[in-house]
Amino acid sequence: MISLKKVLLIDDEAHIRKFLSLVVRSMGGPAVIEVSNGDDGIDRYREERPDLVLLDVNMPGMDGIDTLKAIIAIDPNATVVMVTSLANRQTIEQAIEAGAAGYIRKDTTRDEILSILNACLGDDSASSAPTDAS
Amino acid sequence: MLVQFNQLPVSMRNLPSLDQRRILVVDDDRMNIRILQSILQKEGFVIASADSGESALKEYETFDPDLVLLDVVLPGIDGFETCRRLRATHGETTAPVIFITAKAESDDVVAGLTAGGIDYLPKPFRPKEALARIRIHLQNRLLLEQLAKANSDKNKFLGMAAHDLRNPLASIRGLAEFLADPDIGPLNAEQLDLVQTIQSASQSMLRLVNELLDISVIESGELQLTKAPTNIVRLVEKSVRLARIDASKKLTTIILAPGAGDTESINIDADKITQVTDNLISNAVKYSPLGAMIHVVVVFKNQTCRVCVRDEGPGIPENERSLLFKDYGRLSAKPTGGEKSTGLGLAICRKIVESHHGEICAQNLPDLGAEFSFTLPLEA
Repeated sequence: MISLKKVLLIDDEAHIRKFLSLVVRSMGGPAVIEVSNGDDGIDRYREERPDLVLLDVNMPGMDGIDTLKAIIAIDPNATVVMVTSLANRQTIEQAIEAGAAGYIRKDTTRDEILSILNACLGDDSASSAPTDAS
Repeated sequence: MLVQFNQLPVSMRNLPSLDQRRILVVDDDRMNIRILQSILQKEGFVIASADSGESALKEYETFDPDLVLLDVVLPGIDGFETCRRLRATHGETTAPVIFITAKAESDDVVAGLTAGGIDYLPKPFRPKEALARIRIHLQNRLLLEQLAKANSDKNKFLGMAAHDLRNPLASIRGLAEFLADPDIGPLNAEQLDLVQTIQSASQSMLRLVNELLDISVIESGELQLTKAPTNIVRLVEKSVRLARIDASKKLTTIILAPGAGDTESINIDADKITQVTDNLISNAVKYSPLGAMIHVVVVFKNQTCRVCVRDEGPGIPENERSLLFKDYGRLSAKPTGGEKSTGLGLAICRKIVESHHGEICAQNLPDLGAEFSFTLPLEA
């Protein structure tokens, strides 16, 4: 299991942020920064340079894909994992092409999310491939 | 049972107005056209006419009628053929066709209805009867349009509701899972039991919501397959591995027999077919008694690939067979370990398999249990 220092959560729904922050807490107890929109997410990325970004695809205002592109423009090595409600293949492909490390579905269980995140962060011992969310 | 008018849904009480409905009259006898025209125009209908089958087909495209009055005997192609061609081009959306026949012989009537007509009017016309029939068919057509619209609204609403319910439900389940975690805070036995109940209730509700979402997508015709060459044996192996987790709780063994025939990669939507194999195998576990053996086989034969799942459950009662692959078609058989069933799973499986031009079926095994299988063409 990979240990994280700082994680940025970008999702407009507070309950999803709460759940995801509990999930990432078990990855070495990182500081978790939560924001509810893409603009704030980009600003905080620039200031904080987190090890991992969890980014909602569907947000009012600036959407996930545009936010992803802006973050990758700041740091081409950023590890951004998209959070989707439905695994819409087109959106996922678009995100991977734009530089996302993988995706998780919001209805995925904690253990599955952990194994996907570990795989995205390059932990070879992780059991699941990054795109293996269902 | 007699349904009272005021108990009907509002949309059916307000019968749509027939004013300005468009009727195409096709007859090679100008006199007949004139008679019909005068009867119909008085009622507020808009009329166009044609004097042959060929010109009727042309006129249909520009005039876009709501109903067609079509003489059977015409120069060139006859009325029946004209009707068949209209239906071949426009399918179910073809405007209703009423044939005009000089002799209402039974054979003619049958031929007309077989060609896709909806009714016939005998010559010479009895104006009141002709009008009454025309009104009924126009009315029915409008109601059908309204029904189709209402059904598509229903699918949209179902999809939106299911979609919006998913995220909060996923959070409820996920947060309950954390609450039950001893690391977060020790709960006493009673509290833990309550939290675990929240967790399992939200889990089964999430499954239901996901299935409703699947149904709404499929029903609205928006099921999109993303096909790619897939090793189906590998896919089935994965489903079996996943199902073994739940199966072990019921001391059930799942045996994946080595497949017969050469393994070929087939062109399918892997996620969707996985959904089918997951469903069939988890059903087998669900309905088989504790300690059962479930057999899964993949067979390649005659340009098809067949995946079979044999269980040791109670089988399918003969009188419930027709319900099996229908929406909400719950059978009398109960899961043997208190698992949940929505009655949508097999209906979804059928629709996925059929969208791959495949077939899904079920049969009772001679001694014990049932076999569920689906067949996919290799050239899909």
